[in-house]
Amino acid sequence: MLSQIIEEWPRFATYYNLVFIAKAALTTLALSVLGCVVGSLLGLALAVTRLTHGPALLPLRLLAIGFTELFRRVPFLVTLMLCFFAFQATGADVPLFVVAAVTVTLIAGAFLGEIVRGGLNAVHRNQWEAAAAMNFSLTETIRYVALPQAWRLILPPAFGFFVMFIKDTALASQIGVVELTFVGKVLNNKGFSAALSFGAILIVYFAISYPLARFGARLEARLASPRHRGA
Amino acid sequence: MSYTLQYGQIWPYLPRLFDGAWIALQIAVLAFCGGLAIGTACAAVKSFGPRWLTRIVNVYVVFFTNTPQLVQIYFLYFALPDTGVLLSSFAAVLIGMTLNAGAYLTEIQRAGFESRRVSEMEAAEVLGFSRLQQIRYVILPHMARVLFPPLSNHFIIMTLGTSMAAVFGVEELTGQAFNINSLTFRSIEIFSVTALFYVALTLAASVLLAAIGRYVFRARTGLI
Repeated sequence: MLSQIIEEWPRFATYYNLVFIAKAALTTLALSVLGCVVGSLLGLALAVTRLTHGPALLPLRLLAIGFTELFRRVPFLVTLMLCFFAFQATGADVPLFVVAAVTVTLIAGAFLGEIVRGGLNAVHRNQWEAAAAMNFSLTETIRYVALPQAWRLILPPAFGFFVMFIKDTALASQIGVVELTFVGKVLNNKGFSAALSFGAILIVYFAISYPLARFGARLEARLASPRHRGA
Repeated sequence: MSYTLQYGQIWPYLPRLFDGAWIALQIAVLAFCGGLAIGTACAAVKSFGPRWLTRIVNVYVVFFTNTPQLVQIYFLYFALPDTGVLLSSFAAVLIGMTLNAGAYLTEIQRAGFESRRVSEMEAAEVLGFSRLQQIRYVILPHMARVLFPPLSNHFIIMTLGTSMAAVFGVEELTGQAFNINSLTFRSIEIFSVTALFYVALTLAASVLLAAIGRYVFRARTGLI
């Protein structure tokens, strides 16, 4: 396997191939960042919806619960296929990247919604009551009281999810989005050995994921520990 | 939009989805048990083993947790034949998922090993427990309580992860959905029904695991 890689390497390490891989890495990153940024906003909206009271908003709450439970319990691939065929059924000519971006946003929204909700729930009840006593509205309470205290609890797991998510986007290759995994398949089809083409892709993923994972671990140690130290 | 949903057409194919769900569950359970064995061994090495072995385990864990499972299986499935090892798609998926699970479970289980308290062990010694009794009555119940929730959580994640076996042509739940899709072309219908199958499967697993955790291990689990 190794001699084969050494033999193929000069043909493999061309400028064209490297640019091809670099562009694909950018697509993978763009997909992950887009999913996580829009997903965070969606997640916040879902979490806040589930915090509301009163019978008037009950349908909205049930919708938020249904959304979260559904997308957390359906595999990435199946959600991707559903989105793909749903877009196709509308007849609109939507780029594949958009289909993948919508899918990752839906999934990230569901998972980040749970993370945000966990963080907001950890804010002591007295704080909510004090805010209510001061006649804060729900948005004001979340903006000025809950989030400033909860972000330390939300950020580390959200970051952990983000690192995990970059690797999940590999499945977008299945509908033909030209991201890293897809490029691995293309290189393999062009005649390079599987060890070389998929090995190279594995290394690129590692180069993206490992620094982020390390940073996430540090973030966790710095942000989440005061609570465990009893401060 | 001219697409009209016709669930009637996929009705006859429903038994295939049940077959697929059964295979998906088998993959999840087998890979989880294999991963648990690897994870236990590696976590024991990381907690008690020699330095050089710990380094090797670290490389394994860091590599497998920082690259996508899908590409790992691609590598196994397409690169190993070059070295003369021919794997069926089922075997490639199973080995890939097991190795991946092993890496994640190492990290989870190390937390369990390290959560045992020195004072508890000393108390057991004072009571005259033998080494075996210490493991049986002090360490294991404690570890089970700490580890059960994250382990069952990971099992649910792995159940969802089995869907990527479809990419390699394994006829588990998603693979059967692809098959039925190419027979009927009722794409939205078949994939929405498949999604419901996964919801039902993971809900059932969650409820069962929560019950086991509560009555057997006295561990508190949320539903997922």
